Amino acid sequence: MTVPILEMERVAVRLGAFALRNVSLALAPSEILVLIGPNGAGKSVLLETIAGFHAPAAGCIRIAGRDATRLPPEQRRVGFMVQNYGLFPHLSVAANVGFAIRARRGAEGVDVGKLLERFGVAALAKRLPHDLSPGEKQRVALARALASRPTLFLFDEPFAVLDARTRATLRDELRQFLRDAKLAAIFVSHDQSDVHILADRVAVLHDGALQQVGSVDDVFSRPANRHVADSVGVENILSGAATRRLLPETPDATLCLRAEDVDVLPGDVRRESADGAIWLEAVVRDVVRLGPVARVTLDCGFPLVAALLRPEANGLSERTPATVRIPRASLHVLSGAGAPRD
Amino acid sequence: MTPRPVGGSHGVFLVGWLVGSLLIGFILAPLVGLAATQSPEVLAAVAAMPDVREAIGLSLVASFLAAALASAAGVPLAYVLARGGFRGQSALAAFIDLPLAVPHTVAGIALLLVFGRRGMLGGPAEHLFGLRFWGSFAGVVVGMLFVSAPYTVNAARLGFEAVDPRLEQVARTLGFGPWRALATVTLPLAWRSVMIGMTLTFARAISEFAAVAILAYYPMTAPVKIYELFLEQGLSQSAAVALLLLVVSLALFLIFRLIAQGRVGAGSDR
Repeated sequence: MTVPILEMERVAVRLGAFALRNVSLALAPSEILVLIGPNGAGKSVLLETIAGFHAPAAGCIRIAGRDATRLPPEQRRVGFMVQNYGLFPHLSVAANVGFAIRARRGAEGVDVGKLLERFGVAALAKRLPHDLSPGEKQRVALARALASRPTLFLFDEPFAVLDARTRATLRDELRQFLRDAKLAAIFVSHDQSDVHILADRVAVLHDGALQQVGSVDDVFSRPANRHVADSVGVENILSGAATRRLLPETPDATLCLRAEDVDVLPGDVRRESADGAIWLEAVVRDVVRLGPVARVTLDCGFPLVAALLRPEANGLSERTPATVRIPRASLHVLSGAGAPRD
Repeated sequence: MTPRPVGGSHGVFLVGWLVGSLLIGFILAPLVGLAATQSPEVLAAVAAMPDVREAIGLSLVASFLAAALASAAGVPLAYVLARGGFRGQSALAAFIDLPLAVPHTVAGIALLLVFGRRGMLGGPAEHLFGLRFWGSFAGVVVGMLFVSAPYTVNAARLGFEAVDPRLEQVARTLGFGPWRALATVTLPLAWRSVMIGMTLTFARAISEFAAVAILAYYPMTAPVKIYELFLEQGLSQSAAVALLLLVVSLALFLIFRLIAQGRVGAGSDR
């Protein structure tokens, strides 16, 4: 069996009033995990703990099979990429990359020039970081991190301050780099498109505790609790008593339903279908265009949000009657009131 | 690049300049007045006086030493204040500013009580190490250091605060230990602020009169010498020495500022 590149077992970290609690996580070689969660959830603290900046009060961290729980950051071989890439502003591009070679025993044979060429930034060798575009900065930062021969990359929202277009370009470039280099990475993000484009798996952190770790489909369609549902942007979270018509009878149920799983047809066209889909009578309350997709809010006796392509072309506009079709398989029930994990 | 005033804010800038010019004039007038009243011959004669040269030399050496001591102890303290995140941090930062708020005669008397012949530090230091503060070069440095050290601590703290702590973290993950990361990343980025702080400390130290005069009237620093000349020989002699001290200290101040500004500052990353 392949040794995981990172293993965390019940890791606890206390930082003033905040605590990471019982974090257990494993990362396979060349796997990309995207870590999401609300502000203050502890995503950066978790990355910093893996990098070695916070000593765990309990638990164990292994990196490439080696116990790293008490190792200082400089001995962990972890590439750490921060917002705006953390290039040293007083050093040229070549000196930034050379810095990593000077620092790391075993990296003496690494050629700065060849690394810069590999990342297409050799012509910028003498420039200072403030003269570089975001794309150039990313390439220099990757070259620098690679020079120190990391076994694992940690990215703490490197795209947070970029415009949407640059962000998309750099994300594609980064994805290609990680795939080509076959390097494992943990990527902290607030942007769900980062999850869909980069992640092999996704982990959701809330209030210092991991709530769910799984495939993107699994976590997005079947969130473990209300916090995960909020973090992955489930648009329809319905609480109440389920009747037998919809689900097995439950007195206190929370239902999750993604907007893209809601079908909306104009007029009253309810029918029975063999797949046991749920049909509801509705009125369109609001249509908001979000680029190619529109967010349509419906009144079915309770509010329901659907994501539809060109709703107007299908005769759906404000105050028009409609029929909602919900495939039974797309309904996800949270047990209890969707209580978070500790 | 400094933004230019736009959209009707020219008036605000104009008023700012007009009012600000009054202050600039207020600072400049006594200095120009001092320079205008002195002939080059008197200045040359005063500069040739051995006791005047000695006093200015002593002031320069003692101020350098005070700035060096302030940075040796103040820069590490500034780093702790910038990065520490400990309880009482802001109270400690306010405490560091205390010498700026205390009248310097009060500072001199307080220093005399501690560093004087029977002071709790002065007595043992003389007894154990033969180091006397009262009426000595060491006393001059102590007086200067007390009133000027906050400038180094404050400027260096601001410099360290302006360096993104994540740069140090990145340096650590690239393989540098904490001391090497500090020396190769944080200190070079905060260097400009440290230099400005040392320059201000030097400037404040060389100009100190009261605290130094109370703790160590002798050997005479330039401000004490000027005061003595003023009492004994009147305005013309003392004004000439004052101008000499002004020229020397301003020249050094400018050189230090230029050195500080020649360095790459923190936070220049785009």
